[in-house]
Amino acid sequence: MKRALALLLGRGWSSLIPLAAFVAAVVGFVSLPVFTDRPLEIYDLFNLFEAYAQIGLITLGFGLVVIAGEFDLSIIGIFALSGVIAVQSGQHHPFLGVLLALVIGCVFGALQGLLIARFRIPSMPVTLATYIALLGLTRVIGHNQPSVSFENIDTTLWVQEPVLQVFSPRSLVVLGLFALTALVLGLTRWGRELRALGGDRKASRTSGIPVDRRLVALFAASSALAVVGGSLAAFNTGAAITDPGAAPLTLGAAGALIGGVALTGGRGSVVGIFAGTMSIVTLQQIFIVSGAEESFTDLTFGLVLLFFVAVNAPDARNGFVRLRARRRTSTSAAPKGRT
Amino acid sequence: MNPETSHPATRAGRSERSAGLELRSVQRSFGPIRAVSDVSMAVAGGSIHALCGHNGAGKSTVVNMICGLLQPDGGEILIDGEVVSLHSTYEAQRLGIALVDQELSVIPTLTVAENLMLGSVDEPLLLHRRRLRAHAQDLLDRIGLRCSPDMLLGDLSIGERQLVEIARALGRGAKVLLLDEPTATLSAPEIELVFSAVRATAAQGCAVIFVSHRLGEVIELCDRVTIVRDGLTVATLSTDGLHADEIVRHMLGELPAPVAKAPSDRAEPSLVVDHLTTPGLFEDLSFEVSRGRIYAFAGQVGSGASEVLRALAGLYPATSGSVVLDGTPLPVGRPGATRRHGVAFASSDRKGEGLFLTKDVRSNLLVSRLRALSSLGVLRRRRMATVGAEVARSAGIAPGRLRTPVQQLSGGNQQKVLVGRNLADPTVRVLLLDEPTRGVDVGGRGAIHQLLRETAVTGVAVLFASTELDELIELADTVVTMREGRVVAVYDGDATEAGVLSDITHGEGVA
Amino acid sequence: MTRAAPEQSASVTVERNADDRLPGLLRTGLRDPGNWVLFAVLVVAIIVGASTPRFFTIENAKAICASTGTIGIAALGVTLIMVCGGLASLAVGETAAVSGMVFLTMLGHGLVPALLAATLAAAVVTGIQGWVIGAWRANPIILTIAVGSILTAVGARMSSTKAVAPASEAFEHLNKTPLGVPVVVFALLGLTVLVQLLMSGTRLGRLMYAVGENRAAAVAAGLPVAWTVACGFVVAGALMAISGAFSAASSHTITLEGANQLTFNAIAAVLAGGTSIAGGFGSATRTLFGALMIATISDLLLLRGAEVGTQTLVKGLLVLVVVLLGHVRSRRSRT
Repeated sequence: MKRALALLLGRGWSSLIPLAAFVAAVVGFVSLPVFTDRPLEIYDLFNLFEAYAQIGLITLGFGLVVIAGEFDLSIIGIFALSGVIAVQSGQHHPFLGVLLALVIGCVFGALQGLLIARFRIPSMPVTLATYIALLGLTRVIGHNQPSVSFENIDTTLWVQEPVLQVFSPRSLVVLGLFALTALVLGLTRWGRELRALGGDRKASRTSGIPVDRRLVALFAASSALAVVGGSLAAFNTGAAITDPGAAPLTLGAAGALIGGVALTGGRGSVVGIFAGTMSIVTLQQIFIVSGAEESFTDLTFGLVLLFFVAVNAPDARNGFVRLRARRRTSTSAAPKGRT
Repeated sequence: MNPETSHPATRAGRSERSAGLELRSVQRSFGPIRAVSDVSMAVAGGSIHALCGHNGAGKSTVVNMICGLLQPDGGEILIDGEVVSLHSTYEAQRLGIALVDQELSVIPTLTVAENLMLGSVDEPLLLHRRRLRAHAQDLLDRIGLRCSPDMLLGDLSIGERQLVEIARALGRGAKVLLLDEPTATLSAPEIELVFSAVRATAAQGCAVIFVSHRLGEVIELCDRVTIVRDGLTVATLSTDGLHADEIVRHMLGELPAPVAKAPSDRAEPSLVVDHLTTPGLFEDLSFEVSRGRIYAFAGQVGSGASEVLRALAGLYPATSGSVVLDGTPLPVGRPGATRRHGVAFASSDRKGEGLFLTKDVRSNLLVSRLRALSSLGVLRRRRMATVGAEVARSAGIAPGRLRTPVQQLSGGNQQKVLVGRNLADPTVRVLLLDEPTRGVDVGGRGAIHQLLRETAVTGVAVLFASTELDELIELADTVVTMREGRVVAVYDGDATEAGVLSDITHGEGVA
Repeated sequence: MTRAAPEQSASVTVERNADDRLPGLLRTGLRDPGNWVLFAVLVVAIIVGASTPRFFTIENAKAICASTGTIGIAALGVTLIMVCGGLASLAVGETAAVSGMVFLTMLGHGLVPALLAATLAAAVVTGIQGWVIGAWRANPIILTIAVGSILTAVGARMSSTKAVAPASEAFEHLNKTPLGVPVVVFALLGLTVLVQLLMSGTRLGRLMYAVGENRAAAVAAGLPVAWTVACGFVVAGALMAISGAFSAASSHTITLEGANQLTFNAIAAVLAGGTSIAGGFGSATRTLFGALMIATISDLLLLRGAEVGTQTLVKGLLVLVVVLLGHVRSRRSRT
């Protein structure tokens, strides 16, 4: 135990970020009564997990890709597209609808990963282009309607039915995927390799890590997570929204960054992403419950993200470092002999 | 025993022992350039074989072919007597080839234990934390590195990271161990650790290839040495009783003539540095440099020598201390402000931190003096043409080259462009150069040295850092030797190669 | 991109640098894979256009020009951001929209003051982002996503009671059509020339190319990196504001609805023209052609009955292809 603590502290305060995020989430949740003028109810916790289920998989997919040193902006596109596919093909058999979307999503993700890995093309412009293309494709498949309605009421009800009072089948699936990812990355060498890819790509290659294969798998995985998230979201709402806007990306990025994922790559964990996501949805719940205007919510999340981007900026601390150095100069001892 | 010389042809024809690595007349070209035209080398299992050659001789191409990064256009590579075709580094690793080079391939964000297991072909999918730790501890003990396997690699010194990398290669049970300039970053005791680990590995039947410039180490550690020049194997010698000069003669074709140093009088100190410290890199440096003098910092990678220059250039915001130029205090830790005050810097990494590769020679030469070439922000093309030609002339670059994209130039010419950027510029009063002739062959090196001497004569204070002993002795008026962030000694015109070498490898820093 | 070295002449004082004035696009022509798409699209447009009714008409040409206008001006801004290493701004649409709101609100003081106010506001807001990116190396994509969110909120606030209405009729000047061509087209052409001159003929422009290509080298050489990026973003912000003002003038109001579309269109236009998102390469003329290409494709699709979704899809795929080819180009030249 003592060694674990020494290890944790020895690694610097950055490993405490997930803990801090989690504490923030708990504090935020516990302070809900202030905004609702009534004591905490089980229902609040249920809503929290529902909100978590809505964006959790986007945050996870986004976060994992950033840990590996890449960016996947197309994740929102897949989110939207899979919602439409799942709804359209799954009107009678929702499971098949999700399966179809999953196949399409994984193939797309793998192809995208292949482009990025084999041809060494930076992921930012590629995923930006595919994001645009996917949004277009979603609209085309959705016949240019703002949403595609899901007729299968039974599924919609089932997906959000309370389980153990605080969960729902949807949130359990998302939690399950988080747990599965955490286990896979924590217990196998893939987790280490993921961080290596982001920590030093060149060194990873020369170390013998099959970088290309890992990247293809990674992008396929992030698409798969987006597919599950998008399908479940569409089933839950009873309709697939063809243009989700920029909000999911803002929330997803914020959740990942709060959870300790470094934009420069190589750092981050699933546990951290979970804690970060919970912080974000807790804040979201506070806004909803206190009846805040949408613009206020946008503003706050934008500022939160802005803060974390600034903190993540590699050279942000230079100014302070210089100041400290200047103070050290003026307080240094009397000059010693010259060389 | 007399050194034996054998022609590459006979070498290839002889039947070799079955174990080990052999290159038979390998060739490799890049477009019209023949990097390697005929290199043959046989390294038996259990022997330590050196590969020497000056920059541009084809050495790195050979190394890249052995570790699978490149494929030869002609000839064969044999492992244990069987011809192999190495299409990737992964394949090379599977066949038992391990590479350790200067560019560290260890990941700073992972722990030592994780790094030691990274990318290993027989690494299990599921982790056993205890097995991982035990494996790591075993490797660390074998190499004699005292550190905990749970430490973050980023917390180790450069030398220690290099040892972890070597430990990893040993841990993979390699059949062929390829070491490419591995000792550049190590201190003398660390070098000894590496040597004993390498000898132990060879004793177990591994074929070791040691690529290095450090001829003393080559003679000490290796059994045989193959010398490559202009893409050909020119000699393979036994190191018994071999003298470094002989290797140099094969590498160059002849011994280089020493460059005469221009005499210079002592002048008023123009640059006064007091208590310069960058935590973690170097401590408490104070010195004075006069106009027209060339001042050198000698030290291996990580000793603080190049870090001092980078700190003076303003690249480390954590630097404290005072720097005064001609009576004006300079801002510390701000590269833009430092340059405005006349302190120009040329990095040792010309591709990553020096040149703008897709831009042409003229743009690269003029990029830091654009203010003088424009009025109210608008560039004056005629002025740019004139000054561009002038600077090119000062730097010894052919005028026909001015519109060539820099990435198409040879290493030596690229270095001339990087150095030339700061020549013939009246705003430059102090010139800082980190490894001014890195990757430049002997001929080009002389030319750059001449340029620097001429610049110093015009009144510029020239400071450079280098790991090349002959360059330090030839070019510098004053040599400051450094090790582990401290000054070991200062030589005012009386530096000797032996003295400098001894200081930088095992000298004790002066408090 | 290789060029034969000019012959050595006895007097080397003035070199043949006339080529400097030609945009890179025309200099390299088909040798550059990044340009293939432009030429391919040109050919396709002519072929498909021939079989599309009303494509080769004056009215259609004018329509293409008009829609190129606002996108093109915003794209010029994105070009500057991309070249100096800022990747791209995902807040282009929001910046243009909010600037448009400022413009409409300030119209009571006159056309020119309103334009100046909007331009100044956008320049400052965008300039600050540029400084944070240039000095602190903040991630530009995530930063601009955050700013986009904030500006959306600001814009929603400004139009909270009702959609922003113009304070006077002065904006109609922007809707005039001298010689039958909308003012916005003249503005686009003029601004393209100005931005091109800025990029190739000024110290700031050269610095932007240097910083965008290799920031570490620029820092080591003592170049004013933060200032360069900030100035690039300042001009970009001003251009976004001008685009927003024209949009506001033509629709008589402005909302945040189409903000995302403008962002994507602008980025697509820049990338389609062959400017590299990695920085250090590109030009205003390239963006002009890119914007024209995007507008032509949108127009073609529209005339053939395609919906918005199809247009977006095609644009995305086009950008993808250009990015791939552009990457092939940069790898080829780095032998």
